[in-house]
Amino acid sequence: MAIKSADLRIQLDFGAALACLLALGIFSWHSIVVFNGNNLWVAHTHEVLDDLRDLGFSVKSIESSSGAFVLSGEESELADYRKSRASAERYAESVGYATQDNPVQQRELPTLQALLAQRIEFTDSLINLRQAGGLNAALMEIQTGNGNRISDELYAEVRKMRDVELSLLMQRTANSSRELNETKVILLLGTILGLLITTAAGWSVRRDNSRRALAEESLRAGEEQHRMDLSEVQDYSINSLDPQGRIMTWNAGAERIKGYRAEEIIGQNYSIFFLPEDIASGKPAEILRIAAANGRYQDEGMRVRKDGSRFLACATFTAMHDAAGKLRGFSKITRDLSEAKDSEAKYRGLMEAAPDAMVVVNQAGDIVLLNVQAEKKFGYRRDELLGQKVKNIIPEGFAERLAADGLRSADVALAQQIGTGIELSGRRKDGSAFPLELMLSPLESAEGILVTAAIRDISVRKAAEAELLQNVQNLNRSNQELEQFANIASHDLQEPLRMVASYTQLLARRYKGKLDADADEFIAYAVDGAGRMQRLIQDLLAYSRVASKAGSLRRISSEDALLQALQNLRGVIEDSGALVIHDPLPSVMADEIQLIQLFQNLIGNAIKYQKPGIPEVQVAASRNGANKWTFSVKDNGLGIEPQYFEKIFGMFQRLHKREEFAGTGIGLAICKKIVERHGGRITVESQIGLGSTFKFALAEGESRL
Amino acid sequence: MKIMGDGEPVEVLLVEDNPGDVRLTQEAFRVSNRAINLHVATDGVEAMDFLKRTGTKAGAPRPDLILLDLNLPKMDGREVLTHIKEDDSLKLIPTVILTTSDAESDIVKSYQLQANCYLTKPVQLEAFEGLVQSINDFWLTMVKLPKTGAK
Repeated sequence: MAIKSADLRIQLDFGAALACLLALGIFSWHSIVVFNGNNLWVAHTHEVLDDLRDLGFSVKSIESSSGAFVLSGEESELADYRKSRASAERYAESVGYATQDNPVQQRELPTLQALLAQRIEFTDSLINLRQAGGLNAALMEIQTGNGNRISDELYAEVRKMRDVELSLLMQRTANSSRELNETKVILLLGTILGLLITTAAGWSVRRDNSRRALAEESLRAGEEQHRMDLSEVQDYSINSLDPQGRIMTWNAGAERIKGYRAEEIIGQNYSIFFLPEDIASGKPAEILRIAAANGRYQDEGMRVRKDGSRFLACATFTAMHDAAGKLRGFSKITRDLSEAKDSEAKYRGLMEAAPDAMVVVNQAGDIVLLNVQAEKKFGYRRDELLGQKVKNIIPEGFAERLAADGLRSADVALAQQIGTGIELSGRRKDGSAFPLELMLSPLESAEGILVTAAIRDISVRKAAEAELLQNVQNLNRSNQELEQFANIASHDLQEPLRMVASYTQLLARRYKGKLDADADEFIAYAVDGAGRMQRLIQDLLAYSRVASKAGSLRRISSEDALLQALQNLRGVIEDSGALVIHDPLPSVMADEIQLIQLFQNLIGNAIKYQKPGIPEVQVAASRNGANKWTFSVKDNGLGIEPQYFEKIFGMFQRLHKREEFAGTGIGLAICKKIVERHGGRITVESQIGLGSTFKFALAEGESRL
Repeated sequence: MKIMGDGEPVEVLLVEDNPGDVRLTQEAFRVSNRAINLHVATDGVEAMDFLKRTGTKAGAPRPDLILLDLNLPKMDGREVLTHIKEDDSLKLIPTVILTTSDAESDIVKSYQLQANCYLTKPVQLEAFEGLVQSINDFWLTMVKLPKTGAK
């Protein structure tokens, strides 16, 4: 990538230099053209000037030759005149041509020509006059001065035109020299620019070349390393062959496996490793032909070492091509499969050491290997199982799996056969069955894909599972029975209890003091027992109802629940003179009836378990984390010893004698059950003589309706 | 029908199979000190005989109040209640369910069958006496009933 961009930059640099040179060339050529043009113009101006000058001379010559004729009357003078006249006319015409591009001169041209024509006309008439009228007539004509006047005007016109032409010349010369200077500057700058760009390009190429050299060097080093690595490989024979099969490279693995040293084998045809019958059938060449055609070929077969011993080889041939796609040769990697056979012994050792029964099975479902655990587990001797169908010891599930895998490609089968925790049934030699768990792992071997099955007897686990299931069922049944009992207690036990309670009370009322003292005492016990039984039944019922009559958790005001509990406890509170104070309480997610009962039980206890004095109860709630509230019910009562903190929440657990405080020992168990049903935990903190604080947490009421 | 005034005995039919409850109810009414003729039917069939004055109950008086237990032999209290409220000559007699059951289903069912009120028997003797006293005060004293049962 870096090389590529460098190439691009060099191309750009040279392109820029080339463009610069091209521009300079074009500019130079253009300047020369312009300069030539200017020179042409200058030359042209000189031409006009020459013509004008010659025209002047010719007019003078006309004057002198015509004058000479007038004086001498010699015809020869006349020839001079004619010659001068012709050249004067030619020069005038030439001026006309030469100044065709100049409108100023062209405007003067008619005047010039007219004056010239007048002069010629005058001269011609003078000559006629001389020839016809003689010298005097001609001299008189001359003396009129007409001729001189025309000549003067003509000279003046010529001078005027010369002046125009001269100023033009000056201007053109100045232009030409300015352009020449500009051209010089531009050529100089262009040359400097061209030099700079070329220098930059050259620098860039140099730098790039050095970088390229570095890259090539590291590539060469990598190849060297790679070749060295390959040559060091011991486990595989790695060679390259030329297209004809001649050995080009050799490595340590090749030497180890085949026994030849590099210097004795390089250049030989690789068919030297083949059995004579394979060479006769043309196998070596055939392999290369297929590898060349397919790009890759794997061959498994017997090969011959240098010492003549044979070994089972697995060789992979890969065709190598040059950049043009022409076959350059082959790489050949050979593995000695008989070495794999050695590793089988290790494998066998491992298997025997395994604590589980292990069986190796081929795709056809035949047992090819097993360990001593498998012999014990299934009750067979080894020779009774080897070569037998695995169906004999695992009747269902395993062989089917293998058969299904046989239809798949080796790779898919390999992937599929990895399995753990397959529960099947095994059959021992004596026909008894036992549950087993199968763990499968595939094993690629010279004989194809084998499957190693680790077999674990899971009779004990199965029995434990069955027992657990049985226990759960028993538990469920006993829970149901408990519920039924609660139902019976609530209704059917009530009826006889009511009879006992009512009649003992009636007895007590009607006959107290009328029988003897013993009778009064007996009746009192009966009344008390009936009353306690009644409370017990009611509390048990309340306890069972925490689960069976549970309502759903809803967002409710815990303050309302507390107020209702206090209302229910009004008699107790008034009798005891207790002071119950509470903070504003939050809304929570709760079963309202149960929350009322919870407050009622806790506050009831707080008032009940008191020393002499005024009972004080504080109910508070504090935020606990993001969406929980911890409630506390604090009293100034007797307090509880720490060793009872857990115990008091158990069923029928009481800390006081019946004579001290009545109670069934169910109240706090109900509290615990209610709090746990709300996903919380109830705890107590207490100090003897100072009071107790019961705490429990509830989820905050979500802020929806 | 007689005016329920002082000294005038009122007729009450108690349908109750448990003799213990019968006696308790009698004792409780005794405490209330009213001239009450408490008639007892110990099953539903007997109760209907009494009300229709059939069989052995041909000479039975028409009760001013029926106290009906729900769980009865032969014909249970719900059937008795159904028959009473379907009978034009009986349906105006106030029928109070007096039972040990506090099951919601029993309460609802009873009112659907037009019971005039539903009461559960308290366990404590004093509470039971209080309940009977209340029945006496309300149904036999305060409540205004038609002069005579139709027919």
